[in-house]
Amino acid sequence: MNAPVTAAPERETEARTQCLTFQLGNELFAVGILNVREIIEYGHLTVVPMMPDSVRGVINLRGAVVPVIDLRRRFGHAPTVVGRRTCIVIVETPTAEETQVVGIMVDAVNEVLDIPDTQIEPPPAFGTHLRTDFIRGMAKMDKGFILVLDLNHVLAEDDFHALVQDSECAAA
Amino acid sequence: MSTDDVLQTFVAEARELLLGMEDSLLALERDPRDGEAISATFRAIHTIKGSAGLFSLDQLVAFAHVAETLLDLVRDGRVAVDGDLIALLLECSDYLGFLINQIAGEEVADAATQEARRPTLLARLQACIASSVAPSASQAESPRQAPPSAVPAAGEVADPVHNDAWHISLRFGPEVLKNGMDPASFLRYLGTLGEIAHITTLWQQMPAPEAMDAENCYLGFELDFRSEASREAIDSTFDFVRDDCRITLLPPRSSIDDYLKLIAEAPEGLERLGEILVASGALSQAELERALERQRQAAPPALGEMLIQEDGIPAPVVQAALEKQAKGRENRSAATRFIRVDAEKLEDLINQVGELVIAGASATLLSQRSGDTALIEAMAQVGRHVEEIRDRALSLRMVEIGESFNRFPRVVRDVSRELGKDIELVITGAETELDKTVVEKIGDPLMHLVRNSMDHGIESIEERLARGKPAQGRLSLHAYHESGSIVIEVADDGGGLKRDKILAKAMDRGLVAPGQALTDRDVFNLIFEPGFSTAEQVTNLSGRGVGMDVVRRNISALRGSIDIESQEGVGTTMRIRLPLTLAIIDGFLIQVADSAFVLPLDLVQECMELPDGERLQSRGQSSHYLDLRGEALPCLRLRNLLNLEGESSQRENVVIVQYGNRRAGLVVDRLLGEFQTVIKPLGQIFRHLRGFSGSTILGTGEVALILDVPTLVHDASGREARLLGESNAGQAIGSEQPA
Repeated sequence: MNAPVTAAPERETEARTQCLTFQLGNELFAVGILNVREIIEYGHLTVVPMMPDSVRGVINLRGAVVPVIDLRRRFGHAPTVVGRRTCIVIVETPTAEETQVVGIMVDAVNEVLDIPDTQIEPPPAFGTHLRTDFIRGMAKMDKGFILVLDLNHVLAEDDFHALVQDSECAAA
Repeated sequence: MSTDDVLQTFVAEARELLLGMEDSLLALERDPRDGEAISATFRAIHTIKGSAGLFSLDQLVAFAHVAETLLDLVRDGRVAVDGDLIALLLECSDYLGFLINQIAGEEVADAATQEARRPTLLARLQACIASSVAPSASQAESPRQAPPSAVPAAGEVADPVHNDAWHISLRFGPEVLKNGMDPASFLRYLGTLGEIAHITTLWQQMPAPEAMDAENCYLGFELDFRSEASREAIDSTFDFVRDDCRITLLPPRSSIDDYLKLIAEAPEGLERLGEILVASGALSQAELERALERQRQAAPPALGEMLIQEDGIPAPVVQAALEKQAKGRENRSAATRFIRVDAEKLEDLINQVGELVIAGASATLLSQRSGDTALIEAMAQVGRHVEEIRDRALSLRMVEIGESFNRFPRVVRDVSRELGKDIELVITGAETELDKTVVEKIGDPLMHLVRNSMDHGIESIEERLARGKPAQGRLSLHAYHESGSIVIEVADDGGGLKRDKILAKAMDRGLVAPGQALTDRDVFNLIFEPGFSTAEQVTNLSGRGVGMDVVRRNISALRGSIDIESQEGVGTTMRIRLPLTLAIIDGFLIQVADSAFVLPLDLVQECMELPDGERLQSRGQSSHYLDLRGEALPCLRLRNLLNLEGESSQRENVVIVQYGNRRAGLVVDRLLGEFQTVIKPLGQIFRHLRGFSGSTILGTGEVALILDVPTLVHDASGREARLLGESNAGQAIGSEQPA
């Protein structure tokens, strides 16, 4: 009975972030749980022409049309191959005008982790093969590092805008 | 209701009043003798001041008070109505609008400059007040004349009655007590102005005790009142209850038809009120009988005619009185015909109807799959009703475009003065209806176009005379419906666009390749290119901060388009085409490869199978042209254009679309038929995606994209022109043939 009582004050003093962890290939990533609205199975997707291939398409989420981002492609890897555990994580990111609701495609969803802020370190200058502004920090966990993503940058619409124009130019 | 809510109501009401006041002032400018307009202006200011007083908005009250004083003098004819006065009052209305915006807690960009206007405006108001002439002898006697509201412009009273007291007819509304007013206090106050010679209390409206609501007022009074006070003084007694009550003031020796009218309108019935009037001494028995006799002879609506026949009252006078009566009735009934509904509730309703349409589509699809004829029939019936409900729901949000045209008379007036031009504004089709959300968003682009036409379109008076045009320029706003869209034209009879200059500028900027053949319209559309609107350009917009590209962007955001027609020296017409609604449209479903797309049905002209020969020839290209009954029809192959992969069907189809006066063919794989399309916005990520105006959800639950045909065609032609320009093809072929 003693253990939880002593653990509790420690929990209060120490800031923690609850994160949802998921896998892309063999790498582990995490996003703040407050950004996550729900997780759905990968289902029928409508392709939006003339968009970069990091935008996989749009889905009907109970009457709302939600874009789906292929996170691997967004990170510069090969497009995700849909498998048995492929999921779409529906995330919300507040923008200046409204809350943006986007689905991100991941290879598998793992668990919800309580990560103490003290264990989150700034990302190294290079070596993660990711744009540094995509990474909020590296969480040191028992199983190794988890990359905590900064969704605002990962899903920054202006990047997709640029991509739209690129593809238009390519088409032209 | 919290104070905040009440304040909100005040703000909304005050804005409405100011708008009304502006209208009246403009009416007054056209006809300075329009007594009704003067009164309306006075009432607006008076009401704003009164309500503002309730909120202790002292700044507003103090300012409105001065304006009111001046208007009071104007109403009495002691200050003459002229252009300067109206300009001053318009500025006051602007300033009041600014104060109200501040009260509403809105950020006002130029608050300091606005505030700085206050002392000047006050000084000018005071100067006008000081210039007022003393009441002339004839005006001092005005109480003895027929009230202008009853018999306007009547020089002398026709057939007066022999009663030298005022007659006041009062019917308090049921809400008076609830509003904190005590009828007795008005009578007491009246007593301070003169002597109440006779009073009859009318309690007949009082219901039986069990039905009576103690908080309602059921009383009315007929008063005879001797007083030296002016009409305004007596009238102002009732300012606080004017809205709830029926108040009729008859000056001494009013004409008998005034009494007749009073009798006719009395809720108590003719005979009853007549008796009261006689009893009170307001009318003699003989006078009453004369009146009632006439009343009986004529059918009720012919009251006016009867007066003309028997009394020799000039027809226009009676006509005016009758019109006034009719107008009053209309106003009263209009109040009951309309209800105010929260815009959000409507929005909700329309969203719900949207969901209903989608659910209906999926149910219909399932019924068709089941093959059960009875079920299919039943679903078809449901579908019809859904469609009807959809149309009705959407029509709830339809408003007349006149609402956004309303501010232009003022703008045109102000700007033309500023520019020293004489410009007449002609508005037609103001009653054309479109979705409220569209109306709200089209205001700014329209304003920009209107200012633009006045500033750069219409020439100065000297220039116009030199060119043999009338000195007065003409700007017209015209709205009409055309195949599921609304078209708004802003046309001027000014100098027109100078094609050569635009073209030179465009080449300068590298927008057009040398040697490229462009139609006039293509050239004119160049002025919408971002960055094109800079100094010393044809339509000089410098200093405005926004250019024509913003106008076009705003219009595209509404899924609309804009076109220019212009003839040098003759004038320019800007034609904006907008969808009627942004919520639900009739769509036409097509399939290309594995994807379904929706075209707005209104654009679809006809469908045909793509001839085999054409098919082979065009394969692999994103655009080509087709021989449509002897006409070269430009075609877009959606499969190539959109880079869609997937099984191609053996037979391809062409959907021929038309918007404005452009025609194009879209080559698709399959035609899936009509589809009620609930428009769902695409997310922020797709904000810059061109060629799609939104998405919708099909009966199967899949998402389909809605094609933005004008943009697709425009981009395709632009791309082709660029490619041809780049490859320096000496004589490039215009990619679009105007239909």
